[in-house]
Amino acid sequence: MSGFDWGEITSNLPYLFEVGMVFTVKLTVLAMFGGIFFGTLLAMMRLSHLRTVSMLAGGYVNLMRSIPLVLVIFWFFFLVPYIGAWILREPRPIPVGAFYSALITFTMFEAAYYCEIMRAGIQSIARGQVWSGYALGLDYWQTMGHIVLPQAFRNMLPVLLTQTIILFQDTSLVYVISATDFLGAAAKIANRDYRLVEMYSFVAVVYFIVSFGLSLLVRRLQSKIAVVR
Amino acid sequence: MISIRKISKWYGAFQVLSDCSTEVDKGEVVVVCGPSGSGKSTLIKCVNGLEPFQKGDVVVDGISVGDPKTDLPKLRARVGMVFQHFELFPHMTVMQNLTLAQVKVLGRATREAQDKGLKLLDRVGLGAHQDKFPAQLSGGQQQRVAIARALCMDPVAMLFDEPTSALDPEMINEVLDVMVQLARDGMTMMVVTHEMGFARKVAHRVVFMDAGQIVEDLPKEEFFGKPRSERAQLFLSKILQH
Repeated sequence: MSGFDWGEITSNLPYLFEVGMVFTVKLTVLAMFGGIFFGTLLAMMRLSHLRTVSMLAGGYVNLMRSIPLVLVIFWFFFLVPYIGAWILREPRPIPVGAFYSALITFTMFEAAYYCEIMRAGIQSIARGQVWSGYALGLDYWQTMGHIVLPQAFRNMLPVLLTQTIILFQDTSLVYVISATDFLGAAAKIANRDYRLVEMYSFVAVVYFIVSFGLSLLVRRLQSKIAVVR
Repeated sequence: MISIRKISKWYGAFQVLSDCSTEVDKGEVVVVCGPSGSGKSTLIKCVNGLEPFQKGDVVVDGISVGDPKTDLPKLRARVGMVFQHFELFPHMTVMQNLTLAQVKVLGRATREAQDKGLKLLDRVGLGAHQDKFPAQLSGGQQQRVAIARALCMDPVAMLFDEPTSALDPEMINEVLDVMVQLARDGMTMMVVTHEMGFARKVAHRVVFMDAGQIVEDLPKEEFFGKPRSERAQLFLSKILQH
């Protein structure tokens, strides 16, 4: 360890956190909200009585869960500009940049996982709750929005957050499209200064501290919000 | 008020209701009883369309439940329903339970809905509990809140699906008292229950079901006097012994 250069880490902290970590956290948080939103819609579709609707959502979820994430990131990065061009009827592909490409990818990909969590959450609510909502004259969307989903979210909050911790780690895969996330920033410095050991060790420690710290918080939350019935 | 016309229902190949017909007139109290699995709960859930049926029709206050063009939420808002397991919303306070549908469905102002809610909470003797959550109340109290919640919608009729079967014995009476009072005030009621004391006290007619069929549909006096079918006699002899 005699050659371990602590100065290499301290001198690059601003770049690592202000550029790299900001990208990572922004991507994680936005993809979480987007993923939970679309995942909840997908879950409602999967539980629909209309066969086509539920099969459509089921097909999407199975597709996303059967493809490696790295491949999806690549795929969206190269495809989204063409889709954008097609939608806007432009002759050339529209560059969307690494961040937005990654955000769309993670939102769509995580939606499949959040969908399965929300599906379990919705199914954990007794059928009588839905009945009593309907019996009061509420329609499907009102019953979902005021009665079923608030309880499902509450029941599933720890699992949703655990999935988000996984998402936080998975965002490091954006290095394949050369995005400057936390890992990407460290990799660039490591290669520039040829300080691979320092950089990759530091990155590992930071990912560990953040992920483990969050999982401890989730565990505390779990015992706190256990629903009283 | 409620007219059930020859309805039949199947779960797959299994027939749960066959050709059931009965009427509940305005201001009338009809008790539906019978052994478990006889289709009582399914029948009462057909009245407000919570359970779909394949044949026949139910007409509530002139509106057909089976007609696909019927606005079911609108119809259900006018028919109160009370469930075996109360089904209060556990993430809302008692008052929020009472006001939700008034505001969202009837479009009442929050203030107006709260006034109405408080009035009905007082009527079931729970005015002091408006800010509690359902889990903080006993079963009997929860069921009385559920009754108040249904009454907040100014229903033209009330449906009760075994309202006392999930309660501890000492709480049954507090719920039945509320129901008796409601019946005496002239509410149209259809009640699935095993409480024969309640039936004797306030029912006008008793419907007896077995294996998905309505076996007896008689005025109360005749039903308790001497029902015609052997099945009903056997049922009565079993539950009236104690």
